[in-house]
Amino acid sequence: MEQKEKLSSKQMLNDLMADHYQSALDAKANGEIVAWATSIAPQELLTTMGIKVVYPENQAAAIGARKEAQKFIDDSEGRGYSVDLCSYARVNFGYANLKKSESQDIPMPDFIYSCSNICHTVLKWYENLAKELNIPLIIFDLPFNHTYDVQDHAAKYMKGQIEEAIKKLEQITKRKFDHDKFKEVMEQSNKTSQMWKDATMVAKAKPSPLNGFDLFNYMAAIVTNRGTKAGYEVFKRWKEELEEKAAAGLGPWKPGEEEKFRVMWDGIACWPYLGTTYKGLKNNGINMVTSTYPDSWTILYDNGDIEGMAKAYSAIYCNSNLQNGVDRITRIVDEYSLDGIVFHSNRSCKLLDFRQFEQQRQIEEKTGVATVLFDGDQTDPRAFSSEQYNTRIQAFLERLEIKKEERRKG
Amino acid sequence: MADIKTLIAELTQVAENPAKAVAELKKETGKKLIGMFPYHLPEEIVYAAGMLPVGMWGGQTEIKLADKYLQSFCCSLIKANFEMGMDGTYKKFLDGVIMAAYCDTLKCVCEDWKVAVSELPLIAMYYPQNRKIAAAVPYMENEFKLVQAQLEKIAGKAVTEADLEAAWEVYEAYRAESRKFVKLVGKLPKTLNATTRHLIIKAAWFMDKKVYTEKLAALNAAIEAAEAEEFKGAKVIVEGILVEPVALLDAFVENDVCIVGDDVAHQSRMFRVEGRKEGSVYEKMAYRIVDAYADPLLLDEKKEHGKELINMVKEYGADGVVVCAMKFCDPEEYDYPIFKAELEAAGIPVLYMEIEQKMESVGQYKTRIQAFAETLA
Amino acid sequence: MYFLGVDIGSSSSKAAIIDENKNILARVARNIGTGTNGPAIVTAEALEQAGITQDQIKFTVATGYGRVTHTQADKQITEISCHGKGVAHLIPGARTVIDIGGQDAKVIRLTEQGNVDNFVMNEKCAAGTGRFLEVMARILNCSLDDLSDLAKESTEEVEISNTCTVFAESEVISQLSQGTERADVAMGANDAITSRVAGLARRIGITPVVVMTGGVAKNESVVRCMAQHIGYDITVAPDPQTVGAVGAALFALESFNKK
Repeated sequence: MEQKEKLSSKQMLNDLMADHYQSALDAKANGEIVAWATSIAPQELLTTMGIKVVYPENQAAAIGARKEAQKFIDDSEGRGYSVDLCSYARVNFGYANLKKSESQDIPMPDFIYSCSNICHTVLKWYENLAKELNIPLIIFDLPFNHTYDVQDHAAKYMKGQIEEAIKKLEQITKRKFDHDKFKEVMEQSNKTSQMWKDATMVAKAKPSPLNGFDLFNYMAAIVTNRGTKAGYEVFKRWKEELEEKAAAGLGPWKPGEEEKFRVMWDGIACWPYLGTTYKGLKNNGINMVTSTYPDSWTILYDNGDIEGMAKAYSAIYCNSNLQNGVDRITRIVDEYSLDGIVFHSNRSCKLLDFRQFEQQRQIEEKTGVATVLFDGDQTDPRAFSSEQYNTRIQAFLERLEIKKEERRKG
Repeated sequence: MADIKTLIAELTQVAENPAKAVAELKKETGKKLIGMFPYHLPEEIVYAAGMLPVGMWGGQTEIKLADKYLQSFCCSLIKANFEMGMDGTYKKFLDGVIMAAYCDTLKCVCEDWKVAVSELPLIAMYYPQNRKIAAAVPYMENEFKLVQAQLEKIAGKAVTEADLEAAWEVYEAYRAESRKFVKLVGKLPKTLNATTRHLIIKAAWFMDKKVYTEKLAALNAAIEAAEAEEFKGAKVIVEGILVEPVALLDAFVENDVCIVGDDVAHQSRMFRVEGRKEGSVYEKMAYRIVDAYADPLLLDEKKEHGKELINMVKEYGADGVVVCAMKFCDPEEYDYPIFKAELEAAGIPVLYMEIEQKMESVGQYKTRIQAFAETLA
Repeated sequence: MYFLGVDIGSSSSKAAIIDENKNILARVARNIGTGTNGPAIVTAEALEQAGITQDQIKFTVATGYGRVTHTQADKQITEISCHGKGVAHLIPGARTVIDIGGQDAKVIRLTEQGNVDNFVMNEKCAAGTGRFLEVMARILNCSLDDLSDLAKESTEEVEISNTCTVFAESEVISQLSQGTERADVAMGANDAITSRVAGLARRIGITPVVVMTGGVAKNESVVRCMAQHIGYDITVAPDPQTVGAVGAALFALESFNKK
């Protein structure tokens, strides 16, 4: 124990992720059942059943970041998948066919576990996987909230789905679902979520001790380990480190590299061009302090309250209406003392894209911060132009400077 | 045959000029009109409230205003609807709009609409994807109730159970007659060519369903009485959301390709599921969603889209399948690779064409349809 | 008895004449396309080459983008069927045909008997078509024909990753401004177009023998890149630009015999 506490959170994160993947591969090799799940699915049920689960979105991001996406994309496009579909899906279909990656291997699934709160796309994507691999499909369909809050009858529908899922899981594993264990898992999941949120909130300090691109790394842990103590420990250590830095007045980068502007990133990362997108900001003294990610995995509810849990899963940013989204980002701008927002118009993500233009306008008007939008994609390397990105960031910087000057003059 | 020609013309005229047809519909009936975004929507409630549902399936409009809200990679059908919302076209005759989120694009467009077309009331709703489980039906009943309350406000009148029953009967009759029509097309492949067939089915979107059903029933009777036409061309099943523009359909006609059956959202998918006989009207409406099959916009655990297409090819004696994939339509684009492999395994020729509703030139499509016909010959 | 095939493309016109024994007597190509007097010019030149006169032609088939407007023809057949036909005749045993034209790229699968079994064409985007190479040639300030020779001098691999021709254009301009060699960019352009078309080919499945037709097939480095991408050797059809016209002439003969 003593020794473990001395590890840095980054080390702990790396160990956690290595273990996550290795234990899943081992489980498969030992004949255990493995699931593929979407990134914000009710993992509580799987964790309660002790079922190993891996997250194709997470793997696709890793494949994208290590510049290996193209071969998987080529494979799925070769079978007729359109270039206009989500590139995570195209990478995953390619992987499901080729089953081998330099970046990160995952075991093949025995069943599918998909939740539509992050998009409709995953319903179709996972429906295809279940068909191609001939395995059972467990679906959670969380109606898009065109009302500001989640409606009660939607939560009841979700509750019905959870009950149905438990039945299916019992059939698949031939084991009984342990409701006491379920309560423990719910408790742990709330704790881990809260710790993730707390750690990311340290970035409110000025300068921010957090370089927001680190969020993209730690996100892997909240996706895969939201229901575990190990996940909790990583975020606890991370929070301590950030608090230490904040107390010492340290910024996100090396001493001497000043955080001149604080911005939020809207949308998924541009994984194949992490370096380009990061440096484009950093070289201009722009720190990405936060994004909509911290809140997306902050799934909090009263222990044992299934409808409350359903509502928490349904109320995430992606599944909320325009007004709700604008209000959330407006709060973030305020709480994190932001100077601007970078919008990633991500070819893969129609759900985030097709309200982005209006969101951008409304937020600019409400908060007065500068914003910029660039075209890219989460994993398809062919849909991004460094020149376009750098030019836009340059123009963004010019606006940030003007606004700062205006503020200085009062 | 003169009789058939007249009956056909009455319907095709409506579909050839929807704007005119809808303006007349409003004037003649004096009823309020409610716009129906694609796709399955509770039209029966609109009808029960003494109003008429009108289809909103895009059009040949140039996109100017919608770009303010939607990127270039948004499907042309929904974008055209949005454009006509913004430029005031719909406001001229509609009193409200219903929209359900069947895909990520529709989720967003529903939100954008509230801002961009605020003068035209929007009733937003959702159909459950996990539709086979017990909790789905009460969820839908609840949604219908909420929609009904909003419609009553627009109509200025309450809807009774008897109103709903009567509307349900009108719709079941319309659906039954439409199912009969699509099965009869193959008998007169020249008279009911690809374009004519399309226009006849399309007309339903701009008429009182009761009136439409009467006219279609008369046409069906005339087709049944007519002598079958000799036809040497190719027979195909079309698949997709919408098969337009008409110039594209003309390319089928020019190359002697008859559309004998369709698996198209704008057409058969709307009426191919027969309602159950028991339960309240809300329950019967909900069970049409539960019972829907091989529908790319509704979760299908067994993924029977390919199986259904193969069945259709056999049932209609078709030579092949023409896929008209609406560019940027996720649900369709996900289904294609799966059913393509199944069709190929079954030895059924497939032509795949990515289409947009408004196309400057259909030259390349003509080439493809002609080449496909050449390979089938 | 003689039979004429005229292939009217978007930027070039081609003509071929055969006799009743399928002997090819003339093959002509000119870089002027539909809407011009291109078809008339190539027809006249082909007649001259064959040493015959127009009245000796028993049947004419038009194909290509401009086939519908060529009213002098007795029949019009798509370039897909014609390229398939031409290749099956010129290279017996061919099963896959790759044709990169100015406006569209197509991949045709042939049956063992040499009939068209299935085909795919590029969708709206220009990234996989000859148009993409034209744009690249313009930026590199060379002719389309010189692009192949230029690419041969390439020493270093440059990747042009963008699918979008407009994006690719700015990508290439930026590469050049950073001092990347023109030869390497030319090679990158060849690589980019072939990878797109290879993707198209995978959609219907590739069976050898694979044959390339169309003007782009004269670009050796494109052919080499394509072979690498699809993992099969590629046979370039003799005089690849006129294969469609030869196919059309063969159809003319068949149609005449059926009559």
